[in-house]
Amino acid sequence: MASVSIATVAANVLLLGALYALVAIGFTLIFGVGGVLNLAHGASITLGAYSAYYAVQFGLGIYVAGLVALVVPGVFNYALYKGLIKPAGDNPVAVLILTLVLSLVVEQVFLAIAGAQPVTIPGFVDGQVAILGGLEANRVLGFVLSWVLIGGLFYFVNRTKRGQAILATSMSKKGSALVGINPDRTYTYTWIIAGVLAGVAGLFLGSFQSLNPLMGRSPLLLSFSIVVLGGLGSIRGSVIGAYFISMLDQLTIFYVSDRLAGLSGLVVLVVVLLVRPKGLFGRELAEG
Amino acid sequence: MSGETESTVTDQPEDGSLLDLVDPRKMSGVQRLGLLGLGLLAIFGPVGIVAGLELRVIQMTGALIFATYVMTWDVVSGYTGEISFGHALFFGVGAYTSAILNTQLELSLFLTIPAGILAAALAGLLIGFPSLRLHGPYFSLITLVTPIILISVLVFQPDITGGATGLSGVDTLTRDTVLSYYLAFGVFLLTLVTFLAITRSDAGIVLTAIREDEVAVQAAGLNPQKFKLFAFVLSGAFGGLAGSIALHSAHLGGFAAPSDLLALVLSIEVIVAAILGGMGTITGAAVGGITFYMVVRLLRNVPVLGEFYFLLFAVLTLLFLFFVPEGIVPRVLRELKGRQTDATVAADGGRTPLEITVRKFAEQLRELVGLKGGDER
Repeated sequence: MASVSIATVAANVLLLGALYALVAIGFTLIFGVGGVLNLAHGASITLGAYSAYYAVQFGLGIYVAGLVALVVPGVFNYALYKGLIKPAGDNPVAVLILTLVLSLVVEQVFLAIAGAQPVTIPGFVDGQVAILGGLEANRVLGFVLSWVLIGGLFYFVNRTKRGQAILATSMSKKGSALVGINPDRTYTYTWIIAGVLAGVAGLFLGSFQSLNPLMGRSPLLLSFSIVVLGGLGSIRGSVIGAYFISMLDQLTIFYVSDRLAGLSGLVVLVVVLLVRPKGLFGRELAEG
Repeated sequence: MSGETESTVTDQPEDGSLLDLVDPRKMSGVQRLGLLGLGLLAIFGPVGIVAGLELRVIQMTGALIFATYVMTWDVVSGYTGEISFGHALFFGVGAYTSAILNTQLELSLFLTIPAGILAAALAGLLIGFPSLRLHGPYFSLITLVTPIILISVLVFQPDITGGATGLSGVDTLTRDTVLSYYLAFGVFLLTLVTFLAITRSDAGIVLTAIREDEVAVQAAGLNPQKFKLFAFVLSGAFGGLAGSIALHSAHLGGFAAPSDLLALVLSIEVIVAAILGGMGTITGAAVGGITFYMVVRLLRNVPVLGEFYFLLFAVLTLLFLFFVPEGIVPRVLRELKGRQTDATVAADGGRTPLEITVRKFAEQLRELVGLKGGDER
């Protein structure tokens, strides 16, 4: 029994860690590159999950719905950046209030049209895979896909021109502009990437658990902790932080009480901020 | 620190006694207007009941409590420029401490309410300490998550705290509409007078100076940390008082729920009301708080719009951030005093508290992200 439960915790940590990493990477990209604390990042998660749900309801297959779940948050973030963040760009307090209010509005909209009761979306694949004492194939798919995305992002940032432009902009906007990088376009990319990643996370969180209008909250809060732990702007730190936080969270849920879900992450956040505000990995994006 | 500065009336140009401060004959027009407003509030309770406006009296009770919340935010964030995104923590700590002591140990409210105030003041100290090291976005993150942590703790022990639904059956001082109104009015008045006295004293000048330039305050031989902590403890104590009075009166009717006392929405509404009314003025916070609360109550009855009143206020706040950064009250005062003071020297280089706070926040953010110096966004 004990070995089974450890396997369950391990499987949860592996999967949720990857999904939280996706959320946190998006959050940290926007912060590290554009200096914007996007408190509406949780809304992208909710939006991704619910757009998949409505696509399925509309009669589209789950694969098409999965695609919708990527596109809608991407477009949402694009519109958010172009329509609200850019005009208010030099006023971070306005940005904070704006994104916070926007996330509350998204919650209200889904509460109004979908109701508070949880809904579900079907998995991509059925059946089990014989690892760690038998896992749902859908979970394994989510895990693999998340890691493909994380790996792809590493490749993108470190090996492609466009990714290097993002890195350069995060180091020095002026310097990168001097060598011909358009900062506005770079910010736009990071916002879209962040939206898509959040959409993937929302899609899989929704297909493993269930969807509710407030589902974006706890991943957002956890990604605060992850990002602060890993160091603002650090992709590698986000992945490591995501695994650390999700492990802590799962252990708390499993061995203490599920009512404490999310709490350990927040405590870590406060402790890290007080003890080592730079996080474990400092500012990787800025230091190269 | 405050004891010596509070009572000195150095900002009075003529060497009048303290009594002159409250002498209506020596007041300016604006001050008389404020006094008139307070007078109207003082009689609104019974008069409203007689006039058949009981609902409005009940709403006004809530408005006075809310305005007190807004003032407690303003005395910290409006003056020191460290923006707290989770001020509901103090209301929640005050109310819940009192509620739990009352229900679990069956202590009298006359013991539990002071205990609540003490606990909230302690919470102010605990939140104040990080603010000494963490600035701007990091401080906002800490203040954002602390009420959420408290909610998690409450949910963890539902038999004691009532969990997510709330703790019912807490004793009340009174459930009478008029008496509750006067309780709320008393708390409002006490907070207003205390905060006005402090912010208009030397301590207030130091707090304002911290917002402007912390290094300059240090250079003047003053310890900004001491003053910041003082502001936090003060804010926490009065926030706790307001929260527990809200709970133990007809306003919340002895029902402590996270959604009424700790919710993120409440923290945000407090900030919005302070910005609309006028940040860093206390009076602006008081007026903004009452107005915001009443307008929201009116809007909620409007179909469709009522659901999204929040969005409406968000848009309004943004418009204010750009077009009326000083807030309604200072703007109106300027229009009233208007032309004859145009030539006088503007304090803070004519920048409003909100603008200074925003600029400070932006600088700290830039420092954090590494976009220093001329590398402007």
